[in-house]
Amino acid sequence: MNNLTSQQRKLAYLCGILVLLVPIIMLGLPSDGKSAGGTLAQLRSKYELGESDLGDVDPSSAAMNLVLLGMRGVAVNLLYNEFEKQKNTKQWFEMQATTESIVRLQPHFEKVWDMNGHNLAYNTSAEWDAVPDRYHWVKEGGKFLMRGVRRNRKSTHLQYFVANVYQKKIGTADESKFYRAYFLHDPEPKFKGGVDPDFNPDELDNYLVAKREYQKATTIEDTEHRPQHILDRSLFRSMPARCQFDYAMALHKDGKFGEEAREAWADALNDWTKKFGHETLTVPVGPLGTDVKFNIRLEMTRDDVRREVASPDDVARVAKAVEDYRKMVNYYYWTTRGLCESEKKTSEAHRNLYEANQFYSKQELEKAEEAALAGITGFDGILKQPEFSDLKSEDTLVEECLLAIKVWKHIHELADKPVPPDYPLKWLEAEHQGNLQYASNVQRAFKRLFLDER
Amino acid sequence: MSQSGATKESVIEIRNLSKVYRDFWGRPKVKALNALSLDVRRGEVFGLLGPNGSGKTTTLKLLLGLLFPTEGEIKILGKSAADVEKNEKIGYLPEESYLYRFLNAYETLDFYGRLFDMPASVRKERSEKLLDLVKLAPQARRRQLKEYSKGMTRRIGVAQALINDPDLVMLDEPTSGLDPLGNRDMKDLILDLKKQGKTVLMCSHLLADVQDVCDRIAILYGGELKVMGRVDELLKAQDETQILSSKLSPAAIEEVQAVLKKHGANVLKVDQPTANLEDLFLKTVQESRERPGHRTVKDGTAS
Amino acid sequence: MTFDPRPMDLLPALDYWLRTVGGIALIVLLTSLMSVGVSHRGAAIKLFGGESVGCLKDLISLSPRRVWAVAKLTFMEAYRRKALAVFVIFALLFMFAGWFMGGETGEITPDHVTVYVSFVLRTISWLTLPLVLVLSSFGIPEDIRLRSIHTVVTKPARRLEIVLGRVLGFSLVGTLVLGVMSVVGWLWIVRQIPSELLVCRVPVYGSLEFRDRSGNPAAAGVNTGDIWEFRSYIEGATKARAIWTFSNISERSLDSEGNLHLENEFLAFRSYKGDMKRSLLYDYQLINKKTGQSYTLPARPVNENRSAKDVVPRKLVDDAQKKEYDLIKDFVTDGKLTVEVSCIDREQYLGMARPDLFIRMPDLGFESGYFKAVLGIEILMVLVVLLAVTGSTFLKGPIAALLTAVILILGGKDCHEFMDQLVLGRTSATEGFRGGGFFESVYRIVTHMNPTTELPQNPAFTIMKYTDGFLTDFLWLDKQVIPRLEFFNMAEYVSKGFDVPFDSSLLPSLMILLGYFIPCVLLGYFALRIRELESK
Repeated sequence: MNNLTSQQRKLAYLCGILVLLVPIIMLGLPSDGKSAGGTLAQLRSKYELGESDLGDVDPSSAAMNLVLLGMRGVAVNLLYNEFEKQKNTKQWFEMQATTESIVRLQPHFEKVWDMNGHNLAYNTSAEWDAVPDRYHWVKEGGKFLMRGVRRNRKSTHLQYFVANVYQKKIGTADESKFYRAYFLHDPEPKFKGGVDPDFNPDELDNYLVAKREYQKATTIEDTEHRPQHILDRSLFRSMPARCQFDYAMALHKDGKFGEEAREAWADALNDWTKKFGHETLTVPVGPLGTDVKFNIRLEMTRDDVRREVASPDDVARVAKAVEDYRKMVNYYYWTTRGLCESEKKTSEAHRNLYEANQFYSKQELEKAEEAALAGITGFDGILKQPEFSDLKSEDTLVEECLLAIKVWKHIHELADKPVPPDYPLKWLEAEHQGNLQYASNVQRAFKRLFLDER
Repeated sequence: MSQSGATKESVIEIRNLSKVYRDFWGRPKVKALNALSLDVRRGEVFGLLGPNGSGKTTTLKLLLGLLFPTEGEIKILGKSAADVEKNEKIGYLPEESYLYRFLNAYETLDFYGRLFDMPASVRKERSEKLLDLVKLAPQARRRQLKEYSKGMTRRIGVAQALINDPDLVMLDEPTSGLDPLGNRDMKDLILDLKKQGKTVLMCSHLLADVQDVCDRIAILYGGELKVMGRVDELLKAQDETQILSSKLSPAAIEEVQAVLKKHGANVLKVDQPTANLEDLFLKTVQESRERPGHRTVKDGTAS
Repeated sequence: MTFDPRPMDLLPALDYWLRTVGGIALIVLLTSLMSVGVSHRGAAIKLFGGESVGCLKDLISLSPRRVWAVAKLTFMEAYRRKALAVFVIFALLFMFAGWFMGGETGEITPDHVTVYVSFVLRTISWLTLPLVLVLSSFGIPEDIRLRSIHTVVTKPARRLEIVLGRVLGFSLVGTLVLGVMSVVGWLWIVRQIPSELLVCRVPVYGSLEFRDRSGNPAAAGVNTGDIWEFRSYIEGATKARAIWTFSNISERSLDSEGNLHLENEFLAFRSYKGDMKRSLLYDYQLINKKTGQSYTLPARPVNENRSAKDVVPRKLVDDAQKKEYDLIKDFVTDGKLTVEVSCIDREQYLGMARPDLFIRMPDLGFESGYFKAVLGIEILMVLVVLLAVTGSTFLKGPIAALLTAVILILGGKDCHEFMDQLVLGRTSATEGFRGGGFFESVYRIVTHMNPTTELPQNPAFTIMKYTDGFLTDFLWLDKQVIPRLEFFNMAEYVSKGFDVPFDSSLLPSLMILLGYFIPCVLLGYFALRIRELESK
């Protein structure tokens, strides 16, 4: 052996360890999202192999997985059993805690975030009676999905589901009137009548937030080259513009008909035609059984097709494809609607119909009659324009008009006045006389005029 | 060799004792003991001898109730081997001193004392006395048994065997693994117990130790009793006579030899008797303690 | 509310226990007699008799000092082998981990309290029970393996004392660990959660009856489609009622200001959305069963998933009839108070279960409920020790640990429900699995017969049915060996802010422990007694 004593040898080993620590740390320091980390961590991010490339890193998640020694599947199975039991016995907060454990164990499984977020926003909210409580759980679902997006930045699906909560859950639920109001004035006392900053930091309308979230989803699809498999691509790409339409329609429902509404419709039209209409969609154009694809745009004209397509046979096929996709997304309808609604006179006509209903509810019959007549006169002119003829079969618009006519006629009945033989939109009424669906909807809406809410 | 104070009363009675070890399915595997019958009388030191695997330890364990006999009867102090009450008057030193290694000496004796339902004051007093008796060093008494050497473990083992001042003491290989000093102490202790009127049953394969202390012995082989009887009687050479005298001159030796020849005896050996190695060892150790640096070399010169 | 505490009936429980233990003892006795008879033939009776006398003598001459000696030895073994230190460290680590695993650090709401408290109690039991299980399972087998037990059984220590001493020793170890961890856990809770959120309600429950929408008595209310049939619903604006009867009501049930506190957790079910701006309404009607007098309290809104506190003053004024009533004198008869609940809104439903309405007595301190739940864990721990030590008397350490662990798992609520179904077989149409017992099932599987088809009537099948019945009874007996551990879990009461009830939680746990004590100790004693301790 050498001549060093045991003590000296130990010291030498210790120095050796310390010296080796330096390159180890330089190579192996993990990245926690904020700092780049050592060489290996940087290489991981360069080649997109690290967990931090997927999204935020949660150390307790890694710790939990390590402790289970590979039995993650068993643990998650047991957790889901617990979850079911807690859901069935209405133990909501315990269920939420179990959900937390599940996502800690499986943070990169999209379906887990999707299913649990849906459970919170849809199932759990429905189990509560008070509307503010329901709204709370819708928010919990939305925030949960947003956390999912942060952990999985490259997931188009999760981003889509987040947008869905804003658009569909808040916008079209039975309680949507309340939800939309709460979106801007949260009922929880700690927010003091303002917004929940984690849910609506920019204090916007829910449809505008939905639009922004859908745009994020389309961006992820483009930058990360991650196509989604929920909707056809054309429908998926149309969502931001559709949200803008929803916003504009919501403004009308809320009784806002001024410049704000008109501009909203104009923006919607712009988004639809100038942005969505010019999006490149790669669609199959070949005969059945072949895999021939072509890049189309919904705003393409026949000339555009002729210019871009090589052979004359293909021209017809491509043109047909363009037509098919326009039908799929209802391109003409929305274009027409946008054009129509962004006009001032349409806005006015809507206002008159709305006010007619309001006056009627309050039993101010003269004003109601006046407004109703003005409204149906306005629409009579609009619908007779050839470019807006498609709107003659637009359900909401037709029902709105028929309701106005009913109100106007009823006022005459109450006043014992005969209904004039000829009145605006009589032709519309005649056209849809046999439609039982319209009749029942209009009847129900008429009855509800006396109730406080829709 | 030693005076026997043995009376006729039997402390241990074994009749036709057999033990067959069976496997899991009940099939016989090994016949460890075959129809053993013997008695141990009160006040004697009885040695059970035999090579490894002869059944000595099996016999002991059957006596203590650690094993159940296949056939035969056992009576200890008038009670059956399965009767726990007999243990009140029995002390047992196991082969390897299987004690609780996380206890220290005081705690060990305290624990075993409690098992005899002894009150605290009695336990304390007896513990001190016994630890002095077995000569366990005072500084070692508060250390856990796991730190003890083999000799110290045997000492504390003996102490726990005597905690209840038993009438019958059973020792399994008491001197194995001990150095000559410890060996001597153990043998002195056994003789001391005999002087107190206690009965001692010991198993051993170290013949010299058995010869030194036992009154009667039994030799087992292959689970069967081969020889039993008093040591001195068994070892006497029946057909020879030994005469010990002070040193004789060569002429005197010749004269004695002539007288013996006249009576028709064969002179087998005329020699100076030798002391045994144990005595030499003990004497050397004693002198080294008294006179450090003193050394006796083979040619007889002291320095 | 997810629990429905029902007081334990002691007499039927005792009868049950006697039948079970008696049945098992009989089987054991017959089996041992037969085996002794086979191995010893003629001498069997004498041997058996001798052994029985020996056992009786052992039982009579039990010495507390010897038991305590073994217990102290056990405790010191655990202590000196540093078993405790490892887990105290673990416990501390876990507590720190809990801080990080807590999730968002927002403000604490009453619902967070539930999660925190149940986390602490669950952690405590998950740390204590495995430790104690492992220690207890290996105690005696290690003693036998190392032969240190030889120095004990060759002293006048009875096997029974060894078993009892070990049980006592391990229980003390577990109690120490549990004590330390429960105090640490309590401190953690009290630090994290504001004291006004830590409540310990003392409820007085009543009995519940239903009336259907025509006012006729009904077994239960309407089922509105919930999977969980704990609650049933009464229809609004009809004669449907939920009627509670509270017993032992007197002036002592009122608070210092003379008010009676009612608390409920009714649920609302809307058959149509209706006016979403307000909750559904319900009211209480106090009824005097003897005189027929009634008084209706003003309607109140449902406060779903949270407790709604309603104060009923002693002086009840009826403005319409210009009369005044005294709550105790006019409505409490023979100590009973009847409260009828009805839903006001037409075509809407109000859901309730028996524990959903109770009289709230003055609260106790949070510690009271918390440490009672810890006591529940303590009782369970002693049961674990008992089972593990008993198992270790005839099994090796790892197997004894496994046996005890399996018994604990099978003792859970789900397993018992499953076993109940198996054991009930076809006797009950609504519960139990269809398709009969063992032989009948085999027959049905082989012949592909539908479980709902009746078997043909002939002697062979009758015999089959009887055999199956016998086997099912045997299964029933086996099932009784497995303890019902749901009573030991008192964490739910504490985490939901209730006091732990004695007669439906602590008493059953104690009774279960006691019920297992005697058979387990005896079994352990016999197992050690008939065993050759020379380890091979």
